[in-house]
Amino acid sequence: MNSIYKSYTKLIRIAAIFLLLPQLINAQTIKGTVLDGSEPNTQIPLPGANVYWLGTTQGTITDSLGNFSLEQRDAASNLVISYVGFTGDTIQVNNTTQFYRISLAPQGSLNEVVVKSSPTYISRTETAKIETITTKELQKAACCNLSESFETNASVDVSYSDAVTGAKQVQMLGLDGTYVQINSENIPSIRGLSTTYGLSFVPGTWISAIDVGKGAGSVVNGYESIAGQINVELQKPETSDRLLLNTYINDMGRTELNLTLAHPFNKKWSTGLLLHGSRMGDELESKMDRNKDGFLDLPMSKQYNVVNRWKYNGERVQSQFGIKALYDSRKGGQMNYYQPEHQEMDTIPVDMDHGPGHEDMPNYYLQKKPYYGTSTETRRIEGFAKTALLFPETPYKGLGLILSGINHEQNSFFGYNTYNGKQQTVYANLIYQTIINNTNHGLKFGASYLLDSYNEQYRDSTFARTESVPGVFGEYTYTIPEKFTAVVGLRTDFHNMYGPIVTPRVHLKYNLTPQTTLRASAGSGFRVANPIAENTSVLISSRQLLVKGQLEPEKAWNYGVNLTHEFTILGKNGLLGVDLYRTDFINQIITDMDTDPRQIAFYNLDGKSYANSAQVELQYEPLKSLDVKMAYKYYDVKNTINGELLARQFVSRNRFFLNLGYATKFDKWKLDFTTQWHGAKRIPSTSANEEVYRRDSYSPAYLLFNAQVTRAFKKWDIYLGGENLGNFRQSNPIIAADQPFGPNFDASLIWGPVYGRMIYAGMRFKIK
Amino acid sequence: MIAMKKRKNVLMAFALMLFATLSAAAQTKQEEVKIKTSAVCKMCKATIEKSLAYEKGIKEATLDVPSQIVTVTFNPTKTNAARIKKAINETGYDADQLPADARAYDRLDDCCKKDKGIHEN
Repeated sequence: MNSIYKSYTKLIRIAAIFLLLPQLINAQTIKGTVLDGSEPNTQIPLPGANVYWLGTTQGTITDSLGNFSLEQRDAASNLVISYVGFTGDTIQVNNTTQFYRISLAPQGSLNEVVVKSSPTYISRTETAKIETITTKELQKAACCNLSESFETNASVDVSYSDAVTGAKQVQMLGLDGTYVQINSENIPSIRGLSTTYGLSFVPGTWISAIDVGKGAGSVVNGYESIAGQINVELQKPETSDRLLLNTYINDMGRTELNLTLAHPFNKKWSTGLLLHGSRMGDELESKMDRNKDGFLDLPMSKQYNVVNRWKYNGERVQSQFGIKALYDSRKGGQMNYYQPEHQEMDTIPVDMDHGPGHEDMPNYYLQKKPYYGTSTETRRIEGFAKTALLFPETPYKGLGLILSGINHEQNSFFGYNTYNGKQQTVYANLIYQTIINNTNHGLKFGASYLLDSYNEQYRDSTFARTESVPGVFGEYTYTIPEKFTAVVGLRTDFHNMYGPIVTPRVHLKYNLTPQTTLRASAGSGFRVANPIAENTSVLISSRQLLVKGQLEPEKAWNYGVNLTHEFTILGKNGLLGVDLYRTDFINQIITDMDTDPRQIAFYNLDGKSYANSAQVELQYEPLKSLDVKMAYKYYDVKNTINGELLARQFVSRNRFFLNLGYATKFDKWKLDFTTQWHGAKRIPSTSANEEVYRRDSYSPAYLLFNAQVTRAFKKWDIYLGGENLGNFRQSNPIIAADQPFGPNFDASLIWGPVYGRMIYAGMRFKIK
Repeated sequence: MIAMKKRKNVLMAFALMLFATLSAAAQTKQEEVKIKTSAVCKMCKATIEKSLAYEKGIKEATLDVPSQIVTVTFNPTKTNAARIKKAINETGYDADQLPADARAYDRLDDCCKKDKGIHEN
């Protein structure tokens, strides 16, 4: 009985559908055609365009003549039309009998899609969580270079690496900057030998934007990123101000001059020139040693830096090429090392016994005592070219070629430790981008080649190697508009020393609600470490450098999820972000400063090494023009050192960040305040030292405050600010500072700022 | 007693001066001009209003997007309508019959280009 009833209702339903179907089609099917709007007078159809109802997954694609027909259901009335390379459109559909002609306007710049010269290119932006730091944000920290540009960003931490060179390092997910791929306009930039100082080679006013992505990156950019990627975009000749002059001075005696010039010749050709010169403390002043340990707190430095590039923007070809050149010098060490009257030596009495019968002779002799000096000189020259072929008829297609060549030389000494390094790099990356049927299926593939030739000399040892790595990659992007995106990438590289390297990476994005986005990523990364260049700071010590065994490449997996929720409370917009990441090392080069305080040892990981990180970030505008950003970060970073799983040295387990920004009407006055709380950090063990040379095993927690005020005029900006306003300093940063050639000397145990409060002022002048 | 009086006089004089200055300020001439621009959206409104805020002698500028008209209140002893129009041109927008500076126009965001037509957001 029951089953008969079921079949009966089924039959009725089927009949009803058949009866109603023609009516449905007649009354509720929208028809239309999508046209290329770049040629207003012609009617070029766009095949493969996406047409769907706003907020739903119901949609279709246009056929080869640009035509579509789509059923209208329920209350859906906003039709979205999108096509890669064109600005999408949303139309209100009220009349279902009308034939819709929709012409899409081409996007202003195809750079975004192909040449990758703009901050991010489309598929990545949508899928991975990319934070962009804009010029406005960058101006909140007036000084001085890329290492200071992350002050108002919660995802990137900046650490101090040693007490003598003044070099700063970035950290992401609790891992060192060496695990972050740092690109300049998508060309691998700060890697290899430039790891320690590279951040200071990019002056702040040259930067137009920085993109920060956590976790696994896109396979298109290579296999090296593990903890994240940072891409720096420089001022563009075709869009930046014609002239921007920036001057800066601080109370440590640092002066800086930056000049960026842009000159468009015509619609197609333009050129840009970026110049930087800075110096600090050539004539020695006592304020350079605030902690009175006899050592300069910051090195005396000089830097000259220039970039010139040319850009051609044609309809079918876009190209840019240019040259970068840099000279950087920093001299540090003991103040007396630089005093002309006793530049090299000072005399000290040394006890001696002349034996019986010589009691009348003095029981000491005068020995000359050398002072400790450090010097690092870097010369770097780089040429680059990026070319894209565009297909105006099929804007979703593009072919891009990136070429770059770098010659990097560093000559340095730290007391008696000499280190000279040379790196020559050739990089090529060819990328083809297209779609499969429609823009819901994007595809990128290509081939790359990397040649790295290293020659390093440390004392009397030479380390040389040449890496030659051809590779191929492919990346597929699947999109359900407004709802879901998946990017699946795979690359294989053929390393001449380490064989094939397979790098898979996946990014997923799901819109839970229009305001809430859930993202996930997973992927592997691979890099060959340069332990000496990456740990220059330990050369400023009497530690003996040991390399145990044959060092293998570093390899790790990274997994992460993050949730972003935009909200409105009391009419004000805010954003809440939660990020969770884990990095698991398969191999890592361990920097062992713990086993013996007189040694620094490098060896392959034997055991576990991981980094867990959690970040909760809140952005809100409680009052008009007052922006509040705060973040709490938790890092659990451990690695196996000499058989023992220890917390990574110099990484805080807990951190807190708060940034307040206030601007008066039209940004005439801008006030910024940032505070950062760093929890305790583990300091490598010094328990084997004599008691006077021991340090605590954990640093104290500390707070740093920065503030800046800017006044804007029509063409001028003037600014005044202070860093580390609380004047917090690590006390006694150098162990045995009075005996720099003695066995206990160590300037590498740095966990906090070495110099205290720093006040600066400067101005910017621009001609639009 | 005399000293007291003297101080009182000084205070009185000071108050008078302050009053005179204030009323002088209140009496400064203000003129208003309405200029038709090529603004098409809220972003254009913000750009033009901000740019005019940095011009000498301009008290206030308010742009109405649907009519594309910016109403500018200014001090005629410090600036004039021609200068205001020039400032608008240099920002990348037409001002009445005067065309926008070509380079400034090129630098405008895509959504602020004239061919976009007047639109929301």
